[in-house]
Amino acid sequence: MARRTTIGIGLDIGSTTTKGILVDSSGTVLAASLVTTGASAPIAARHVMDELSQTSGKELTGLPIITTGYGRTSVEFAHETVTEITCHSMGVHSLNPDIRLLIDVGGQDSKVIRIGPNGRPTDFELNDKCSAGTGRFLEVMARVLEVSIDDLGPLALRSTSPSTISSTCTVFAESEVVGRIGTGAAPADIAAGAHLAMAGKVATLAKRVGLVTPVGVTGGVALNPAFRHYLSKQLNSSLWMPDKPQLTGALGAAILAVKR
Amino acid sequence: MGQEERHTEEKVYRQLRANSLLQEIMLRYMMEGQAASEQGKLAWVTSGFPVEIPVTMGVNVSYPEQYGAIIGSQKVGPEICGFAEELGYSQELCSYARSSIGSVRYPEKSPLDGLPKPQALLACNNICGTVLRWYDAVSQMTGAPVFLFDTPPTEGDQPSHHREYVRQSVLRLIDFLSRTFHTSFSEERLRKVGELSGEAIDLWTRSLKACRNRPSPLNCADRFLAMAPIVALRGTEPAIEFYQALLEEVQERVSQGLGAIRDERIRLLWDDIPPWFTIFRFFNGLAARGVVFPADTYTHAWSGSLAGADLLDSVVSVYSNVYLNKGLEAKVDKMCELIKEYSLDGFIMFSVRSCKRYSLGQLVSKELVMERTGVPGVVIEGDMVDSRLFNDAQIQTRLDALLEMFL
Repeated sequence: MARRTTIGIGLDIGSTTTKGILVDSSGTVLAASLVTTGASAPIAARHVMDELSQTSGKELTGLPIITTGYGRTSVEFAHETVTEITCHSMGVHSLNPDIRLLIDVGGQDSKVIRIGPNGRPTDFELNDKCSAGTGRFLEVMARVLEVSIDDLGPLALRSTSPSTISSTCTVFAESEVVGRIGTGAAPADIAAGAHLAMAGKVATLAKRVGLVTPVGVTGGVALNPAFRHYLSKQLNSSLWMPDKPQLTGALGAAILAVKR
Repeated sequence: MGQEERHTEEKVYRQLRANSLLQEIMLRYMMEGQAASEQGKLAWVTSGFPVEIPVTMGVNVSYPEQYGAIIGSQKVGPEICGFAEELGYSQELCSYARSSIGSVRYPEKSPLDGLPKPQALLACNNICGTVLRWYDAVSQMTGAPVFLFDTPPTEGDQPSHHREYVRQSVLRLIDFLSRTFHTSFSEERLRKVGELSGEAIDLWTRSLKACRNRPSPLNCADRFLAMAPIVALRGTEPAIEFYQALLEEVQERVSQGLGAIRDERIRLLWDDIPPWFTIFRFFNGLAARGVVFPADTYTHAWSGSLAGADLLDSVVSVYSNVYLNKGLEAKVDKMCELIKEYSLDGFIMFSVRSCKRYSLGQLVSKELVMERTGVPGVVIEGDMVDSRLFNDAQIQTRLDALLEMFL
């Protein structure tokens, strides 16, 4: 029988950011950390561990660690790896057990997960080999429009007439945006068009899995108000978002680590 | 446990003894193909072609699709497909077609120096429509004439005018082969070939059915290798010889309670053509995690035997009713039936970018099969020959997530 522990660590090593959470067996978050992944996932993970230790004032050696995210296998001190699909599902379930459909949009993928009554996923779909429905799409659009990624959503919400932007390919959409700039379209309309295209792509994925309300949204992109606005319209549904939507994967991993 | 079992105990899977006979038979088959080509009596055929007709008429056959699998398993798919792309063929074109065209262009740079040169190209569109244009391209390069055996798609029962149309194709085929190869057709000979074909199919089917046992005596990679004679040697004695040996070994495993993998925990269905370039790594990697595939939709496709008083009618029926030639519902039914019959816990659908006919509708099928069987499934994307289309990290995440559902 596995040794019971009262504290667990979850690390979510994504393509853009690395997140860490320390929880106890009651589900209370003792510390959280988020850093840019950069060129080295193991260094980012170590950085997160140091922050968790400092914030909580606890010695982390020997505590169970579960890693998730695309870099989950790159950290040699992890005790177990679990996919972000299961971790996001568990994390969201612990915060809002009513959510049955979760949309998570990160830097390089978008996932739609059907959550079972026990918090485990029962079905899921991920974006295909294309970045057009991911955070990377919005990053590219922000760069072309010369605004920060944090300002892109508020800019889009000022639009009254979104431009038409193709959602088929990030690279071609970038050329399209450059073309729109050339023809004098307002940056707010272009930004709105980009969000609309992306939200449409994600909504299609969600409808494929089957819409069940209330719909949860997580991942870094969930922080973007224009994305939520257009996604909500496309799905014709209100959206529930946790306080820190980027951290639910790490939270789920930490909860699983406690149970380990 | 026998001595041989102890010998391979460290591996997660059990090697089939029959594989050495398989290698011997397939090597002989390839050498015969070479000799036939030199004598001017070799035809290339598609995997769903009514091969009993050319075999009856003394025409040897080679399978470009099978050769595509060899190119894939030798991990030279991108290079050989690249030869076709240099000629202007799109990367969106089927990788069996691209690798075939590429190897005809540069046989000296291709495995086994390419397939032996054909004197005729026999395409049956019951597996896809690409085969006709692919064989047209090869015809331009080799000068061999193309024969199209046209099987209109069927939905439900095949109408009588369809049957008559396909029957006329059989007669045209006999005429084409007679003229091209200066040979003749005999119904008596077809009956003999049909019997041999039926016997091999029966033996093969019994081995497949034995996988209903727990543990399953065969895994996916075993069947994908063992299917070679049922594709290439239907209607010949060597196919029977091999499937007898395979069935004996399979029955021996069942009676001793030995599985294809050592620790069977999760039983899954596989849909579509496998990624030939990583077939062992892929399936043995899953085997190490206790995952076995007692059934798949691919190797179950060769199951129709020629029988009855009217043999030509039987040819029409068997080759029109290949399930790739039927509606999506037929495939969904097949998957549900296999999941139930083989007591499977879930399924993996490999969306093969090259093979539009096989992969079309998988996302919808996945939902339908999940609904009807109550077991989870996942769609992963890649290709059978062109490893450039196979993203390991993305596939691993999807597979891991599926397996986590069984915990």
